[in-house]
Amino acid sequence: MTTTQYELVNPPTDAISAIQYAPTSLRLLVASWDKHVYLYDTSQASGKLLDKYEHRGPVLHVCFGENDEEAYTAGLDWDVRRINLSTGAQTVLSTHTNGVKSVLYSRQQNILISASWDGTLHIHHLSSPTKPHVTISLPNKPFSLSLTPSKLVVAMASRALHIYSLSDLASDSASQGIEPWQRRESSLKFMTRAVACMPNDAGYASSSIEGRVAVEWFDPSTTSQSRKYAFKCHRQPSPEGIDVVYPVNALAFHPVHGTFASGGGDGFVALWDGVAKRRIRQYQRYAASVSALSFSGDGKYLAVAVSPGFEDGKEGVGEGMVAVFVRELGQGEAKGKGAK
Amino acid sequence: MGKAKRKHPDLEEILQRPWCYYCERDFDDLKILINHQKAKHFKCERCGRRLNTAGGLSVHMTQVHKETLTIIENALPNRSGLDVEIFGMEGIPEDVVQSHNQRVVTQFAQAEAERRAATGNPGPGAAGGGQNKKPKFESPADLKKRLAQHKAKKAAEEAAGISSGGNTPGGMGKDGQSPGMGHSPGGYVSDPATLRIQLKLSVAEKAGSPSYPPQQMPFGGPPNNSSYSSYPQPYGQQPPPFQQQQSPFSPQQQAFSPPGPPQFQNNPAVAPPQQFQPPGGQGFPPQYQNGTPQFQNGPPPFQGGPPQFQNGPSQFQNGPPQFQNGPLPQFQNGQPPFQNGPPPFGAGSPPPFQQNQFQPPPTHTPPQQNGMPPRPGSLPPAPGLPQRPSFGAPPVNAFQMQQMHQGQLSGPPNQSDHSYHSQQQATQNGSVQMGGTADSKVPVPSPLLEPPTVLSANASSLDDLVSGAAKDADQAANGTEKRPEVSRIEEPAEEKKGKKEKDKNMKLVYSDNDISPEEKMAKMPRYAFTPSG
Repeated sequence: MTTTQYELVNPPTDAISAIQYAPTSLRLLVASWDKHVYLYDTSQASGKLLDKYEHRGPVLHVCFGENDEEAYTAGLDWDVRRINLSTGAQTVLSTHTNGVKSVLYSRQQNILISASWDGTLHIHHLSSPTKPHVTISLPNKPFSLSLTPSKLVVAMASRALHIYSLSDLASDSASQGIEPWQRRESSLKFMTRAVACMPNDAGYASSSIEGRVAVEWFDPSTTSQSRKYAFKCHRQPSPEGIDVVYPVNALAFHPVHGTFASGGGDGFVALWDGVAKRRIRQYQRYAASVSALSFSGDGKYLAVAVSPGFEDGKEGVGEGMVAVFVRELGQGEAKGKGAK
Repeated sequence: MGKAKRKHPDLEEILQRPWCYYCERDFDDLKILINHQKAKHFKCERCGRRLNTAGGLSVHMTQVHKETLTIIENALPNRSGLDVEIFGMEGIPEDVVQSHNQRVVTQFAQAEAERRAATGNPGPGAAGGGQNKKPKFESPADLKKRLAQHKAKKAAEEAAGISSGGNTPGGMGKDGQSPGMGHSPGGYVSDPATLRIQLKLSVAEKAGSPSYPPQQMPFGGPPNNSSYSSYPQPYGQQPPPFQQQQSPFSPQQQAFSPPGPPQFQNNPAVAPPQQFQPPGGQGFPPQYQNGTPQFQNGPPPFQGGPPQFQNGPSQFQNGPPQFQNGPLPQFQNGQPPFQNGPPPFGAGSPPPFQQNQFQPPPTHTPPQQNGMPPRPGSLPPAPGLPQRPSFGAPPVNAFQMQQMHQGQLSGPPNQSDHSYHSQQQATQNGSVQMGGTADSKVPVPSPLLEPPTVLSANASSLDDLVSGAAKDADQAANGTEKRPEVSRIEEPAEEKKGKKEKDKNMKLVYSDNDISPEEKMAKMPRYAFTPSG
């Protein structure tokens, strides 16, 4: 039952900003600050670099599109791009006025959402390519996006958090002024680092730079809201008795079991059961900060992106420090034990 | 146990000692037992990880090492099964508890019988103890001297045909000196004990004795406690310094400390203690502990006490034989030394008392300057200070009591002590003042000051400890590998804890709350992007 993991060969040469498993295959997209997006096939041990796609600037986010041959990227070159993974052809869908932090594809609504530091969301209706994208302005810079089949969660600066209904976003009439379904303030007191939605569409988890993860539910009823909680993690007591608190850079829900993984600046990846409020597992420490996590579509693999110095801006990337590990999960390894 | 002080504990104390289900060893402290179990029985032989329970270990073995745990290591053959879930003293089957107690009782009885046989000293409890340990204090020179004396005596006896009775006094006289050097507690303790026994005897035998009751009066002991006649009680007040060693005393003191004050009041000679009363109930036991070192380092008057006292006991012990011969007159003989006894106490005890009295002064400056009277007054008026009740009935069982007297700090005394001192003085450099007051106090205050912050968060009592640990154990058994922090996952949303959080030392690795790391990176020249158009 010991889990096996291997390191991908030919890793990016600079810090990794995002990794994303294909929904149906074991293809893995890796976006890096070295201005490239990497496509790996992880179905064989140590993986295989299938291709890499150059961008004009560092790539901040990447996601798969309608199928495993299509990807969307967002980067510091302000562009939102579609990449045909087999041909390498790139199409610019829209251009923000600042770096684009994240991009997400909603299969259910066939729309693409990009979020930029210019404080806007761009909604691209992929079914009608000719239609211009819809711009939604946000009160703050968006830091992280996450999707469920029906909702979009946008975590922003100043602890703001908006939840949009995807059907609203996708509706044709939504050309001007789409109101969020819910406006919330993060229950964490520090800057939101990452947000990830539960696969069962019930709620989401968010993490902050202050070693803490909050789990909340969409349902606005008081009973549901009273279930929300936050817990500390990714902290190391130092010998002087000071807690060194690391940012929680990455959150990812397991697509099958509904548990979630957190990756922190301390190099740890932990699996949590958000319902039973228990930690299921914590893996051996990685050599550097964990910058991104992704479960494979079938939940059998967990990809862990490791890159140093990511969280403090001191980009002292040592050679070989940037790595992507693919961890094969044992049967039920990520399964919660159930509440007691 | 090797120490003289714990020569023969009470049966009850032995029964109350926590013991390990797996190996039947007993321990001073539940914490130690739990540590023992983690180290001896619940330790993973593969990776050395210490689990809390057998179940936890079993789960650990299956999950981490893919092995099945079949027996508990280092356990007695019939106890090595996994079927019982043991944590500390919890989970031990009733029948096992019974047999353990049975065993302890028989062992105790046997040990006592042996002791009696060895010392030739009948009577319950610690009677023989003093004689037993006395030889230990004798230096070789003393031994030789004694031998010489003994020989001389024998020779004399042979000549005169007397019994060997003289032997004991000889030994006693020497002991009387050696304890005085610093071992006095050890040798000393036994004396009150003997006293008590003898007194009991005497009380029983001559309840009607006219000379006796008057004696009782001055000490003011309420006769409610028949087994401890009023005599031991006054002694009890003084002996506490020594008492660490003397197990039989601790229960007595428990019962005793609350009633203590009234006795003082009755006793005109010891007037000052009246004001001292309030602290007496609460701060008393710990202070006595502290008193002990002082005693040895000793302010002169106090040191003066013991020698006098030793005179008392030694005479007294001469007494017993006489006693049996002829109760009444001898008892009166016995009295003088006894009466000598109390005065030394009076002389000796004030120092500790005064310390107590001094202590409060720093805490409440105004009352202090007025002197004693204000103090009792100052306590009640202070509103919202419900310490009193908690003092009145300290939730301390005999075992904890014993711990306290052994110098280990345990929860309850700290708590009460703390609330007493620092709640009233509102934290204002209490430690300094207290430290300045009495040297011996210094070590105590610092732990005292801690509890307020910690108390609510941490387990403050053994029970909490157990239940908390049990919870951990449950979780461990549940198969989650966890570090301590994980248990916090169940905390409610963090707003409530905000305050506590701030107090805590922590260092954020990334502390910019406005600009995300990515934005910072994006500003670095190497990532700079200038849109082409």
